[in-house]
Amino acid sequence: MAGRGIWNDADFEPSRPRPAKGGIRSQSKQDFGDTWWARRWIEVLERFDIGARLSRGQSYARNGQVLSIQVETGIVNARVQGSRTKPYEVTIKVKTLSPTDWAKIFRALGRQVLFAAKLLAGEMPRDIEQLFQDAGISLFPTKLWDLTTSCSCDDWSNPCKHTAAIYYLLGEEFDRDPFLLFMLRGLKRDELMAGLGAVCPHSAETVKPVAPPEPLTGEHNRFWGRAGLHFEESSGEVEIPRTSAPQARQLGGFPFWRGETPFLDSLVPIYEAASIRGLEVLLGAENPVEIEKATPELPSPDNA
Amino acid sequence: MLILQASASENQLLLWGETSTPPTANANPSKRSVVAKKTTGKTKQESRPVAVERSRFAAESQVLAQVIVAEIAHCKPPGDKNRSWLAWLPSNASGALPSSSLLADESSDPGDVQLAPWTIPVLLPTPAQTVDILLACTGRTTWGPGVVIGPTLAYWAEVLRWAGSILARQKYIPGMRPDAGGSGFRACWEPVLTGEDRIRSEQLGRAMPDACRALSIDPSQAPSTAASAILAGVLTTLVDHLVRSSRAVVGKNPKRFASTHDQWLHALRTQDGRMTGDSQELSGLAEQIGKWRRPLELAASAPFRLCLRLDEPSSTSGKDSPSGKDSDRWQMHYLLQAVDDPSLLIPAEAAWTGKGPEAELLARDGFRPREYLLSALGQAASICPRIESSLKSTAPTGFELNATGAHEFLTQRANSLEQAGFGVFLPAWWTRKGTSLRLSARAVVTAPKAPNKSGLSLDELLNFHWQVALGDHVLTLQELKALSKIKTPLVQVKGQWVELDPAEIQAAIAFWKSKGDTAIRARDAVQMALGVAKPPGKLDFAGVEASGWLADLLNQLEGAAGFETLQPPQGFHGALRPYQERGYSWMDFLRRWGLGACLADDMGLGKTVQTLALIQHMWESTPPRERNPTLLICPMSVVGNWKKEAARFTPDLPVMIHHGLERSRDAEFKKRASKHAIVLSSYALLHRDFHQFKHIPWTSMILDEAQNVKNPQTKQAQAARGLKVAHRIALTGTPVENHVGDLWSIMEFLNPGWLGTQAEFKRTFQIPIQAQRDPIMGQQLRRLTGPFILRRVKTDKAIIADLPDKLETKVFCTLTREQASLYAAVVDRTAELIESATGIQRKGIVLATLMKLKQVCNHPAHFLRDQSPLAGRSGKLSRLTEMLEEALYAGDRALVFTQFAEMGFLLKSHLQETFGREILFLHGATPKTDRDRMVELFQNPASDAPPVFILSLKAGGTGLNLTAANHVFHFDRWWNPAVENQATDRAFRIGQTRRVQVHKFVCAGTLEERIDAMIEEKTEVAGTIVDSSEAWLTKLSNTELKALFALREEALAG
Repeated sequence: MAGRGIWNDADFEPSRPRPAKGGIRSQSKQDFGDTWWARRWIEVLERFDIGARLSRGQSYARNGQVLSIQVETGIVNARVQGSRTKPYEVTIKVKTLSPTDWAKIFRALGRQVLFAAKLLAGEMPRDIEQLFQDAGISLFPTKLWDLTTSCSCDDWSNPCKHTAAIYYLLGEEFDRDPFLLFMLRGLKRDELMAGLGAVCPHSAETVKPVAPPEPLTGEHNRFWGRAGLHFEESSGEVEIPRTSAPQARQLGGFPFWRGETPFLDSLVPIYEAASIRGLEVLLGAENPVEIEKATPELPSPDNA
Repeated sequence: MLILQASASENQLLLWGETSTPPTANANPSKRSVVAKKTTGKTKQESRPVAVERSRFAAESQVLAQVIVAEIAHCKPPGDKNRSWLAWLPSNASGALPSSSLLADESSDPGDVQLAPWTIPVLLPTPAQTVDILLACTGRTTWGPGVVIGPTLAYWAEVLRWAGSILARQKYIPGMRPDAGGSGFRACWEPVLTGEDRIRSEQLGRAMPDACRALSIDPSQAPSTAASAILAGVLTTLVDHLVRSSRAVVGKNPKRFASTHDQWLHALRTQDGRMTGDSQELSGLAEQIGKWRRPLELAASAPFRLCLRLDEPSSTSGKDSPSGKDSDRWQMHYLLQAVDDPSLLIPAEAAWTGKGPEAELLARDGFRPREYLLSALGQAASICPRIESSLKSTAPTGFELNATGAHEFLTQRANSLEQAGFGVFLPAWWTRKGTSLRLSARAVVTAPKAPNKSGLSLDELLNFHWQVALGDHVLTLQELKALSKIKTPLVQVKGQWVELDPAEIQAAIAFWKSKGDTAIRARDAVQMALGVAKPPGKLDFAGVEASGWLADLLNQLEGAAGFETLQPPQGFHGALRPYQERGYSWMDFLRRWGLGACLADDMGLGKTVQTLALIQHMWESTPPRERNPTLLICPMSVVGNWKKEAARFTPDLPVMIHHGLERSRDAEFKKRASKHAIVLSSYALLHRDFHQFKHIPWTSMILDEAQNVKNPQTKQAQAARGLKVAHRIALTGTPVENHVGDLWSIMEFLNPGWLGTQAEFKRTFQIPIQAQRDPIMGQQLRRLTGPFILRRVKTDKAIIADLPDKLETKVFCTLTREQASLYAAVVDRTAELIESATGIQRKGIVLATLMKLKQVCNHPAHFLRDQSPLAGRSGKLSRLTEMLEEALYAGDRALVFTQFAEMGFLLKSHLQETFGREILFLHGATPKTDRDRMVELFQNPASDAPPVFILSLKAGGTGLNLTAANHVFHFDRWWNPAVENQATDRAFRIGQTRRVQVHKFVCAGTLEERIDAMIEEKTEVAGTIVDSSEAWLTKLSNTELKALFALREEALAG
């Protein structure tokens, strides 16, 4: 690894990359990866001493040069738009863990439901790295032989800036979906959950229950409803959330977002305007004008 | 008569209607052929589409469109195409059956009822129009005469309200669906039905009338899509449209997007959300979106949800050792709550072990309790860290907390957990604003003792200072300092939990030290005492401790102490019942403090008499030179009644009616008005002649039927508020205090500024009460307005013990211009004819005239027998409609007697169209079986039973038992009081448990009034009429007859 540092090649490819349309765009405002586990992943990349390729990789990731990323067990295939017409093909292979290793891990994980709960909620449990370490296994690929990267570009360096871009975007995606990391280590989500005893291995996809048919009745009151029908008032309070778009936030942004503006930032103004509209509808339309007048004084949701 | 319905098809609402008017002659096929075709349709021998007959009751789509455009001003006629659909409706041998007996034939038993498909014309409103239409249905039963909001439409209006609440709370996420008809996709906003919304969805799914899902395009099979699926589809359409329309994109669609993500974001804001392009790419995106939303979908489809219950330390251990360990052991429990039965709560143990009877309850199709609980706890853990630490075991069932932890959970976590869709059960003493017992500030206002109240006013300056209190206990500085040393945020004081905020205590100490005496205006002190106050700092407001005359006044205002009961004024003729004396004294008590009052007594309790007593009292207690008139504004239909009642009870008060084209103006008006005690006018003129009224120094201004100004935007409401008058009274029979939205306008009229500006009122009261169901604000509003609203109800026998069980009042009505000219024409014609006629011929003329005049008094259409519309043409009919509206609002039922069957038919159709309810009518030709059915229907206690029973005096005056009614209206009069009384006794007889009010309608200034006077005076003439024939009239001389028939000026009220 140290040997690669002699290539001081920031200008190796002086030409600018061709503009790519609709590529995956990093959603991070500053550093890549908000969570500790995403940062741990990126640290692995940054441990390779590849100089300015890191920052170029970052700008590739921010500018949407990455056209696609596909994550399979133990391997990532991606396409990056560089200076040539034909996008470069990038492959990152990660060494998968052996079934014995996984069995060890499952035993350790099974002692606390916290691990399964956190993972199901889309979060990497904080203590998980320690747990792997205690079992003598590393969750994150650290050693050189844990990873094989390749790119169809001409750069001597491996990883190159194209690979770096993929790394950054993957890190961001781990934020959202920690299962991806397990995928790279050879275990699919359902296999993992089964190992943790949360689900049976064969019930992979939950089928949305379809409501059984309800034949119409000819009975007068049931068919027409009664005059002066009274509805139970809903017991819930109506309050505009302090932080807009809570549901989308809870899902943690959007996987491999390609939009020109960040996903949540684009949704916030829509949600805010719709909250006011909803309140109007709820209060009834007797005096829509008057409601409009009053709206600026409504408790406005602050954008945290 | 049109009943509007809405049913779902493909997640959209289609509008249709039922009407009693057959559309065209040939669209009404003979009954036999309908049945025949239906049968062939059912055997389904061939696959070609079967022609389905049109339902007899289906309304034309043009009619529907007209009605909508008329109701919703800015609405374009929806769906310009003539479309029809199939509706599967309950039907019998004679065809489809209507939804309501409003449209049914008189014959009762439908026989064998089965579902069958019928063709109906429908409108396809756009989502925007759908929203407008549903908004126009909220809280109403009709869209004006003859247009009834059907139960299906009412149901969808409720669904729209729910959609509004989902928008406000932001419980929805963006998604993408395959386009219904085409190959492309649509971007859409979809509600997330978790938590409370999941429960609401179950409730509303069960409440859906079948008719909401009775549309289909398949004549061979009745639709059977589950109500829950239909509900979810329509709800999504509504949410999607509302979100889209609240922030729509402007400008043209970009031709190309940089990515499908950009395209999706864009399509989420366009009108139709349509996305076209590479179908593989789009389905890839759809899949990606599906994956992204999966965690939410899992939660939304789970039949259970995670609940957390916080238990306080058990009280026994707390008592023994206040500082002991046990007193600080709070317990949190994890539970699973069934969505379809919120009372079913299963402890988490059952989910972990999977064993035992409770675990069996969790076993529902496809539900994996363990996985659900894990993921729910995982999500909850990111909101509440204490949950996370509890998960470091194999089967967590909860955790233990100390007071600090409990406080942190209550204040910072509980709400977020609830918003994330989890159930949270907290101790009852915890409210949205903290413990119910807390540190508060109390204002102490000192007023001197004043044995004699004259000369006091609310502008007086009084001395005041603040106190700090905990509950009822006023704290000393020492006590405050002691409290500040307690380190836990929740402590038990005398068995009650109190939240202690160190900053709050410090602020209270600082406040305590700095406080000094200041001055306050008595009016502000009163307002403060009723709940409008903001103490300095963060302290709660604990009320006013008043002394001296202010204390007396507050006690009186809040009803804790009585006010002086006045004797009826000297010039008042007649007696006031004790509760009326109290009402009139109460109005005067408020008046002396410069405060306006709203008298909202039930109909029939004598608001008019109490008001007249007040006016008389004001008039008498003012030296003649300083007297000024009172302006009394009322609906046209009661002007005559006011005049009559004033003449009867306060004959010394000069009454002037300001009405009609010849009404006086400017200087003349000013001069005339100054000579009268009461100036009567109408709401329409209040606005139109505002500049006339403006220049009179009114003693008082009174609004009768003050619900006319409940909408503050209307011209009459603005005019009412715009007149500068020292004292105001509002009279209404509807319970204004129950309608938050209406209160502001009436209070602003009575006591300007009392509830703040309209925007302030909306923010402080209306939104918290209506949208957040904040009970505290509701209470506060009641306290603030309570002193100014007096409402007594007839049923409250404790208060109105002195009211007789049968209460008879005469209702004097005015004639409309049309009635008056018809009346005059009949009288003129008679005068001509009678001069030359003799003998039997003269007799005939007299009796015919009598009949015609009565018909004119009832309604021009009764006399003319034209088919023209009824509304607005008869004073009696207007008054009857108004009074019935009030009675029906209170849930009362009424009998209406008329001696004319024709009038009965007119009344039935008018009242049905106005109220959208079935109105019964029994007359001489009604068969026995129908009579029995009607009586049974009317006596049925169900809330949707027909509320009004019209009877012809001859057919219904005897024999029937109609005790469900507590109002009896005599729409026209019979000569014989005994016949009327017999009719009245249909309601007032054994079995009647309530008071019965009898309203006898009389057209003032007409022969009706003269007949009434004769009955009253029991003159010799009246004696002869007991034989109930009208023949004696023919014996009167021509001059006598002319006097009897003549139209007097008061018929038109001025």
